[in-house]
Amino acid sequence: MLLLSIEEIVKEYDGVRALNRVSLKVDQGRIKGLIGPNGAGKSTLFHLISGMEKPNSGKIYFKGKNITAMESHERAVLGIGRTFQTLQIWGNMTVVENVMAGMDRRLKGGLFSCGLWLPRVRRSEEEALKEAKEILDSLGLLGKWESMASQLPYGKQKLLELGRALSMKPDLLLLDEPASGLTLTEIDQLSQLILKVRQGGVTIFIVEHHMGMVMEIADEIVVLHNGERIAEGTPDFVRKDPQVVEAYLTRHHEEPSRR
Amino acid sequence: MSSQRTKAPQARFRKRDLFYLAPLWFISLIAPDPYLYRKKEFRKKDLFYLAAICLAPWIWSDPHFHHLMVLAGIYAILSLGLSLFMGYAGQISLGHAAFFGIGAYTTAILTTRYAVPAFLAFWTSALSAALIAYLIGRPILKMKGYFLALATLGFGEIFLVIVRESPNLTGGVVGIFGIPWFSVLGVSFDTYLKQYYLTWGVLTGLFIFSKNLVRSRVGRALLAVAASEDAASSVGICVSRRKLGVFVLSALFAGWAGSLFACIMSTANPEAFGLGFTILIVMMVILGGMGNLYGPIAGAILLTGLTDILSKYQEYSLPLYSIILILLLIFFPDGLGTRLNVRIIYLIGYWAKKRKREGGKP
Repeated sequence: MLLLSIEEIVKEYDGVRALNRVSLKVDQGRIKGLIGPNGAGKSTLFHLISGMEKPNSGKIYFKGKNITAMESHERAVLGIGRTFQTLQIWGNMTVVENVMAGMDRRLKGGLFSCGLWLPRVRRSEEEALKEAKEILDSLGLLGKWESMASQLPYGKQKLLELGRALSMKPDLLLLDEPASGLTLTEIDQLSQLILKVRQGGVTIFIVEHHMGMVMEIADEIVVLHNGERIAEGTPDFVRKDPQVVEAYLTRHHEEPSRR
Repeated sequence: MSSQRTKAPQARFRKRDLFYLAPLWFISLIAPDPYLYRKKEFRKKDLFYLAAICLAPWIWSDPHFHHLMVLAGIYAILSLGLSLFMGYAGQISLGHAAFFGIGAYTTAILTTRYAVPAFLAFWTSALSAALIAYLIGRPILKMKGYFLALATLGFGEIFLVIVRESPNLTGGVVGIFGIPWFSVLGVSFDTYLKQYYLTWGVLTGLFIFSKNLVRSRVGRALLAVAASEDAASSVGICVSRRKLGVFVLSALFAGWAGSLFACIMSTANPEAFGLGFTILIVMMVILGGMGNLYGPIAGAILLTGLTDILSKYQEYSLPLYSIILILLLIFFPDGLGTRLNVRIIYLIGYWAKKRKREGGKP
């Protein structure tokens, strides 16, 4: 079933086209990879999907609903979760609070009912705490649940950011370079985790420079180059595509073939 | 050498040490925990604070002290609200004196001109301050950082100009006199002691409210907005709504504080709500400690007491005051509330180590 569909989307920055009439579709329950050389427009595309930026033209549909004009928090409420390329955890809160804040859209209570600590607020807080601890347990962060998030090492902070995105129970999870800065062991753990998350019914759309990882876990891969979609298909198909090879070779950057 | 090591215990406790330790222990009892802002639920220590608040006027039965504590309580209500806006949501406001002023003037006008009961005026003041906060908050909260500071500063100045230039309504530069005591259900709060319990009672209620707020989803959303707005909206937190909500709430607190101020001082004049007052309140929040609800109260007591002590020195009071503030900001940059205990624990550790080193020496 179709979950996300992007139609003819255009994004310009001061006359420079970051994305030129890109269309793509993400099916439910799949892991879709998005790769491309630096400056191909991958992160821009993610910002457009999550609503951090608005496109110049084109349309975005999520669950069959036109979300092009929606604000990013409204899209999050609809079920689009994301992580960031540059780590964006809340260092001024504890680890468990980070996860609980991620659940915000599922919790109850406004300004005054929270201040008065009404029974329903208390109940929903207790449940949230329990659930947050379960999520931390599954990530292996439960031992640190009370320490400040800013005191965790980088790898754990990355995990925490993923945990926060998971805690909002998204239907679509956008992962912007989750493996960057991680060690090889951590990347392996991350791949296992992502596969586990997919089994829980979450659709995953992932931007990644680490080719070994994305080729291993993705069901399909889209390749962007200079703001245009140049290939789409299974990892094996994409790897052999002459245009993709050329795009990567001319840039002398990463090679999309091996680890 | 070896014989000496066995002979001399490294750090033996002497009776004299109790003399040093007792005050430190006492301060650590009163001072909030170093990481209290991490654990947000109520604790036994809060009961201790409550008892201290109830007993304080009986231990020091000096009316002057009562009056000072009444003022400190009013400032604490104001800075408590401001601390939610500044310390938790990470915004800046230099216009809270205006909300305080709106509260005071609403009470003053309603009670002197229309003979409205003080209790009713108390609520009307808070609601009118909140309403105005809502109206100006919608446009100006889109700004951030310095721009927000300037916009709120401008709002404060506009308020002062309006107050000064409309003598028919607000009494102009002279202000309004003869505001009746606060009274509810026939009880008139006409002594300093009664006023003390009134203000600190209101403060306690608002403190419990704020503390509940901080440990709930709203508090987390505010901290999230302060740390990263992008991340906050990526999990479905509506950033503008939360900012507006806490701005209105802090104005509500300021309105209550202003109303109490008008009733207790029985006057309202524009000089009291100027820029200097705003800076004082902001200093209370910063000195007390951002992101900590005990901080603004500690800051309010400290600065009110400091101003009173220094007023003895007449012309030297202002320079002394500023030197003390600068020193406090240098040595306690995170505020007294958050760091005092860390410092004390550090001091005790340092002292023990020093003793150990000296004891180890031949």
